[in-house]
Amino acid sequence: MKHERPDTTQGRSTATHLLLGALAFGSLAATQPATAQALRDGRIGYVMTERRWAVYETEDGKTECPNGFNLGPREQFAILFPASSGKVYTEVESHLMREGLAFHDMESKEPFPFHDAQGPISYGLNLDGKIGPNDFQSPEGVKGVDNQLYRAIGCIGAYRLNGVVSFFDTDDMYDNGYNRWMIELTGVDDLVNDDDVTVTTYRGLDDLQRDGTGSAFAPGSTQEVDVRWGQSFISQLKGKIVNGVLTTEPIDRLKWPNSQPGVASGYYIIRGSRLELQLTDQVAKGFLAGYVDVESFSHQLNTNWATHHQSYGQLSASSLHRALRRLADAYPDPKTGVNTAISSAVQLTLTQVYLVHPQKKTVVAKSGASSR
Amino acid sequence: MNSIKSSSTTHREPIAPWLRGGMVGLAAAFALAGCAREPESPGTEPRVSLVTTEQYLNSLRYIFGPGIELQIQFPPFERTEGLLANGAAIAGISSSQLEQFQSAGATVAAQVVDPVHRDFSIPCKPATEDAADDACATQFLSKVGRLLFRRPLTQAELTAFVESAGSGANTLKDFYAGLEAALEAMLLSPEVLFVVERAEPDPDHPGRLRLDAYSLAARLSYFLWDSAPDDELLAAAESGELQTKKGRARAVERMLASPRLVDGMRAFFDDMFEFNLFRTVAKDPTIYPDFTSVTAEAAREQTLRTVIEHLIVEKKDYRDLFTTRSSFMTPALAILHETPTSPGWTPYTLPPDSPRMGLLTQISFLSLHAHPGRSSPTLRGKALREILLCQHVPEPPADVDFSIVNNPDSHYPTQRDRVNAHSENASCAGCHKIMDPIGLALENFDGEGSFRTQENGVPIDASGELDGVKYNDAAGLAQALHDNANLPRCLVQRAFSYGVGGAAGKADRDFLTYLNERFAADDYRLHELLRSIVLSDAFSRLRQSESPVLDQAQAGDQT
Repeated sequence: MKHERPDTTQGRSTATHLLLGALAFGSLAATQPATAQALRDGRIGYVMTERRWAVYETEDGKTECPNGFNLGPREQFAILFPASSGKVYTEVESHLMREGLAFHDMESKEPFPFHDAQGPISYGLNLDGKIGPNDFQSPEGVKGVDNQLYRAIGCIGAYRLNGVVSFFDTDDMYDNGYNRWMIELTGVDDLVNDDDVTVTTYRGLDDLQRDGTGSAFAPGSTQEVDVRWGQSFISQLKGKIVNGVLTTEPIDRLKWPNSQPGVASGYYIIRGSRLELQLTDQVAKGFLAGYVDVESFSHQLNTNWATHHQSYGQLSASSLHRALRRLADAYPDPKTGVNTAISSAVQLTLTQVYLVHPQKKTVVAKSGASSR
Repeated sequence: MNSIKSSSTTHREPIAPWLRGGMVGLAAAFALAGCAREPESPGTEPRVSLVTTEQYLNSLRYIFGPGIELQIQFPPFERTEGLLANGAAIAGISSSQLEQFQSAGATVAAQVVDPVHRDFSIPCKPATEDAADDACATQFLSKVGRLLFRRPLTQAELTAFVESAGSGANTLKDFYAGLEAALEAMLLSPEVLFVVERAEPDPDHPGRLRLDAYSLAARLSYFLWDSAPDDELLAAAESGELQTKKGRARAVERMLASPRLVDGMRAFFDDMFEFNLFRTVAKDPTIYPDFTSVTAEAAREQTLRTVIEHLIVEKKDYRDLFTTRSSFMTPALAILHETPTSPGWTPYTLPPDSPRMGLLTQISFLSLHAHPGRSSPTLRGKALREILLCQHVPEPPADVDFSIVNNPDSHYPTQRDRVNAHSENASCAGCHKIMDPIGLALENFDGEGSFRTQENGVPIDASGELDGVKYNDAAGLAQALHDNANLPRCLVQRAFSYGVGGAAGKADRDFLTYLNERFAADDYRLHELLRSIVLSDAFSRLRQSESPVLDQAQAGDQT
């Protein structure tokens, strides 16, 4: 029996899953032949099918970006190196100089004002358990939300809902197996309430299976776990499920893939990372939150996004890198005391999938291993 | 040219009641009958059949190698007495179809002579590339022409093609361009596009006609391999060996043992199971979001793989296809089966307690014979009777009111309640009682083929009946079908009809009875059935009337 998609023979709209369906199935199972279930032997897997850096947006953007959006490379180059000046610039002293600042930041003064996202509201989680002066409130009213990354990227067009990063992050996730990120819950007695479950993150090897609408993904497909090149993406978190919501404890370091096709260096290191996901046996939806390592953020950006791509979304990596450094709020460097990571949240949707393990014993990546 | 009409049989008898009704109860007699001698048969009619897309492609791949790329889909034939293959003999070519053939021929010819393929596909090199070379052109065109025409070219034909190649080469100052033009013209020849069967006097039965050796080779090859005869089979025809009992048996054994038998039997079962419908099957994505065009293609492939593995590789009983738990799995279907799988295709055995069993519970049958948004006991019952039992279900009366069963807002919670409305209407009840009880046993599978236990919150009652055998679920139906005497007889009828290119008629009755006996005695193994058919006199004998006898002068002119 298909796991509790409501019967739609009367022409109902797209099935939405009922969480209690698994329980209902359980009661039927006694009189029906044993059939497949998403939750088997205390295990259930999900594969990532939507992801986006959490950016809270109002309709016209004026609430969070009262001073407008930040300039991109094209606009900045036009101001810094105007054709009208008559001067002939070399690549080294113009474009390459600016691009170099995307890695080397604090020694020269940023010539452009940077517009941080404003306002009291943001998506995300309370990472430090405190309610501080820089914290946000969630749209649902939860206080203490830590998401300084939102301040840095909220007024950059590329990261907003219809922006180029949002689009390509999604597109690359579909088409590039490198980004096939998955979680598996084990030790699950009950998908609604269970005070002790283990969450293991993996990378998968197989294509995503689109459904008949062409815009969504079918639950119940299969992914083989990548234990070879995906070994460094395997992490383990402890968690609990309360009223259908999975909450995990943070782990020190999680490597999360995000790569354009043909680029093998696309990932983020997220410190103090944790999950908060609303679970059904077809979908898991919520946040991956933590403190993203600033160096890994800029490294991912500048090895996956050429300047011309950044220009499409008015994304100046040079300006953003300085903002990230300025707004970083955790994991101070023991020598300099400068914060190395910035609070953040990713909005995630994962679709139920059967995981096939090529080896019996799970080997978790060493926490704290080099990020490179 | 607006149309080239075939000269095939003009009169074809429909499946008569004797064929449908007279079979019940004869199974035991058949089982005991053993291997009787083949009865006298009037033979079949010689036909002129248009090649199918797959036959065209399979032939080209054999002649020019698998590297030839061609994306074509010729228009489908009219399904006649259960088979598209029967429609090939009544098909013509419209001007738009001719354009398709011309386009395909041009594409193939260009690839054959291009620098990538020419060293493989052309057996000689011209003296110079910028002028005609009749010797090399003759070598190539006579070899290729023999395979495309399924007989040696006559000297006149060969001369015309060589002259065409030479004229093109000299005009274009390119030997290969000239050869390309000649090959394109050859690929458009009526005798390449149509399989023309010719008669000759049968020396073993004075006064009777039989297929000539090349026509027999073509009939064998299209039946067993879905392709034109290969070089070896043509050689057997050329030497006369194919017209001897031993020679024909030798050729048939080689063909049955060849991997190309898989192509032939995939084409046959694809036709018999009406899988051409998969090209257009669609499900409402808001109701069945997991069913995509990929699912549909995979469902077709799953059944064909199951059939080939069961019948060809393992050589098992045909009837067991309907109760087997062995199959193949692929990701698109695994979603509907709610089971993990691996990329590609892997052998898959259904769990012992699975509600699925045999071909009827595969996604192909379940999804193909259902509505876009719901299951259909009626369509499934009708398909089982017509496709698998070769029975005819009459069309609904012209004045039937479908609103009772089609209204999506009707108060019927289950399909059983819905189709029971048929019994309330006398004009519906007569036919629906021979369809609905069959399909209701498959109600545990929705319109896409996924398993379910309820419909609109109401537990599903999957009981039903097939020809007096009652059951409670799909497994019961599978067993009832397995045991139904008409199941193997339908395969016999379809296979014979497919092999000779026309529907079986009343005159074939005794021969079909003989085949049924043989099939039963051979434990319903497909190889044995094929062997019985193609080695029979009935397969090669032609009826006296309307048989174009090969012109002896022309035959003597063959190179």
